[in-house]
Amino acid sequence: MSEADPILMRAQVTEPGLVPAGDAPALPLGEEGLDRHTRRDLLKEEMAIAKQFQGGTMWPYAVAAFGCFAVWLSFFPLAIAGQLNLALAFVLSCVFAVGGYVTSHEAMHSNIGRPGEKTRWLNEAVGAVSTIPIVFPFSMARIMHLEHHYHCNDPVKDPDYSDEAPNALMAWYKTWYNRQPGVDGSIHHYKRILAEMGTPEAARALKETMVLQLVFMAVLFAMAWSGYAIEAALIWWLPRHIALSYIRFYLSWAPHHPREGKTGRYEQANFFKSRLGHVMSMAMETHLIHHLYPGIPNHRTRAAYFALKPILEKRGVDCSAL
Amino acid sequence: MQAAVKGLFHWMPFLFGIGFIAPLIAQIMVRWDLPVPLGLSPIVFGLLIGAPWGLITVLRGRWL
Repeated sequence: MSEADPILMRAQVTEPGLVPAGDAPALPLGEEGLDRHTRRDLLKEEMAIAKQFQGGTMWPYAVAAFGCFAVWLSFFPLAIAGQLNLALAFVLSCVFAVGGYVTSHEAMHSNIGRPGEKTRWLNEAVGAVSTIPIVFPFSMARIMHLEHHYHCNDPVKDPDYSDEAPNALMAWYKTWYNRQPGVDGSIHHYKRILAEMGTPEAARALKETMVLQLVFMAVLFAMAWSGYAIEAALIWWLPRHIALSYIRFYLSWAPHHPREGKTGRYEQANFFKSRLGHVMSMAMETHLIHHLYPGIPNHRTRAAYFALKPILEKRGVDCSAL
Repeated sequence: MQAAVKGLFHWMPFLFGIGFIAPLIAQIMVRWDLPVPLGLSPIVFGLLIGAPWGLITVLRGRWL
């Protein structure tokens, strides 16, 4: 081919870092080094496999959400009546607070009931009760989480970008630091984004956040001044802080680190091996599967990953961890 | 209304110091039989820690 060949004149072909200009393929290659026909075929294959894992039995999420919430609520009167093993209640409250995010996360993606379906009310109810222990209203959680998906790893638009840290130790520290009253991270960052959005949904989320935070404070103050400060601390205050740090670390930092520049479809999250295992890390080892297909429920992402692994490897995605 | 709520949240760490930290400190001292310095009552001791701590947090923007 001569230098005047129109194919070689294409910007994509001669773009630095892709292919040598002097030995260019006839078709433009993507970042994975695959031509667009191959990429399209892989995507078709990928979607066909992913479809097998979408949906499925979701009622256990509803049972877990309502069951755990009811048990957690019962801790308050039981503690006041002196009929509660506080150490056990503390551990369970931490588990419920963390687990609640997992059930609400399914509701955020409408995986329990889509708009128009007869289980839609259940989806909304599961979302509403699940995040009460962490004082994070579902309305805000859903808007912010979907923004995270739309603008994943964008330093300005991704609401979770403030969780980024250079290493695991700093990430744990940041989960606490971002919750400080004067720091623009975590829920303070979310409030600012919602205020800037200015939509009716954002206004509603802001209002519900304010109400839930005031209820939280009122319960803590009332219990504390009635002689149940330790009970309130062990059932709600401490579990909330522990859960928020745990959630931020495992759902935000671990699967997305490093975030800088990783905005492409196949680089928004990593596959990693968690020291605490698949369940304790809330299936976040295969978080990229969730970003690719949010309709795959949490408990099926691992199986979906192993089914999709050969295709993802062809794409150049690093699957060496699992 | 909005300004009042904003003001309330601005001062929330101070309120939290009085409303929660102070009684929490007092009840921990009583539960574990810890001696209260200067002959103070546990709740006064709790308030002497909780209120200034909350106030400092309002000013600094950090609990620690």
